[in-house]
Amino acid sequence: MLTILRRFLKLYKKVKISLSEAELVQAIRARQRVGSEALYDMYSASLFGVIVRIVQKQELAEDLLQDTFLKIWNSFDSYDEKKGRLFTWMVNLARNLSIDKLRSKDFRNNTRNRDIENSVISIDEQRSIALNPEVLGMKEMVNKLRPEAKAVLDLIYFRGYTQAEAAEELGIPLGTVKTRVRLAILSLRKLFN
Amino acid sequence: MDDLRAYIESGVLELYVLGDLTSGEKLGVELMLKKYPQLKSEILEIEESLQKYAEAHAMAAPESLRSRLLNSVNVSDATNETLIVPVHKNLSFYKYSFAASVALLLLSLIAIINLHSQLKKANSQVAILNKANQKFSNHVNDIEEQLENTTQSLKIFQKPEQYKIVNLKGTSNAPTASLIVAFDPRKAEVMVDMGSLELPVNDGKHQYQLWAIVEGKPVDLGVFDTRTGTAGMVKMKSVKKAQAFAVTLEPAGGSSSPTMDQMMAIGNI
Repeated sequence: MLTILRRFLKLYKKVKISLSEAELVQAIRARQRVGSEALYDMYSASLFGVIVRIVQKQELAEDLLQDTFLKIWNSFDSYDEKKGRLFTWMVNLARNLSIDKLRSKDFRNNTRNRDIENSVISIDEQRSIALNPEVLGMKEMVNKLRPEAKAVLDLIYFRGYTQAEAAEELGIPLGTVKTRVRLAILSLRKLFN
Repeated sequence: MDDLRAYIESGVLELYVLGDLTSGEKLGVELMLKKYPQLKSEILEIEESLQKYAEAHAMAAPESLRSRLLNSVNVSDATNETLIVPVHKNLSFYKYSFAASVALLLLSLIAIINLHSQLKKANSQVAILNKANQKFSNHVNDIEEQLENTTQSLKIFQKPEQYKIVNLKGTSNAPTASLIVAFDPRKAEVMVDMGSLELPVNDGKHQYQLWAIVEGKPVDLGVFDTRTGTAGMVKMKSVKKAQAFAVTLEPAGGSSSPTMDQMMAIGNI
């Protein structure tokens, strides 16, 4: 009988909390524990994926996820649901924190001689994402995006480039960057809807 | 409207969602949003697709990070949590199913213990009933046997033309003794009615012996005990003619001739 109980507790522990976006916002505003747990369970993996791709370092990404999480929690008053979705606000917080870290002086000094360009691929290959089959299917679909459009979107969204930096990196005019970003997102909209 | 389409197609809304605009450009977009509420749905779709794009590239952070992070934020008292958040979707499902399972388990245990004690009670009752039943059927057996014996005796006593009923009376050796012997001269049948037997109880070394007096001489008809365990008619050796019957007390197994001073009862036909 004890083993059955233990199994139940294990299962109970593993349950990820999921709320609707409105419920989540309400719970965070009320500073409820369930709000913090749901916030982590629902969005930490998506945010972590973005942060890891921008900073390219696992430990640093974990620190930044913590910074992001604290900032979301502590400055939640500045989130206005009339202006946009919760995730948009959170992912931009995460991206800004990550980019600021990359540009900070002590970070540059520490990683001057490190080749960080090639590690994106290894990160994608090494870490299998144990989420759900739906997400795995989505990733396959995403790979069908037109490569030149995807390249621009990834630089901005996952690497923290500005549109100007992306234009310079790829050697294309700023206008083309804008068009390609729009094209990539249009394709995503078609894929996901 | 063409201007609006051109505005959408410029890609500025995408960059707005990506956060890649100067504060001036951002303000411009927000003004446009106020002016043209239909732009809102456009923004929403861009947001949704970018969120799903991020989800498609999600990476699970180490398990240890979860508790570290959750412990680092300040939360309010747990008491009012349930009041404000009405739905705990997944969690509550497992919570309730767990609680229900535990409750069910406890109920089952109680039911089993209950049933067990009831079964025990029932078993002991069955044992008692069995005992009573045994007693009863023994009693019935006894009565049946008695009835059979009585019926047998009755059959004999109801046929005076066939059986001669001879009453033997006690001698001076046993004044209160008496017994009844039934005698059928045609079949040469002699029976002692144990039901009406009144003789002193014999010990293990002695037995009563029945004699027929035929033309003045004793003829051995066999031995019997006061305790034969039956109340019916006991058949003795046969004799055709007899004038009287007598009973003597002899050493166990009987004697070839009667010990006259141990004569206990005698009766003429």
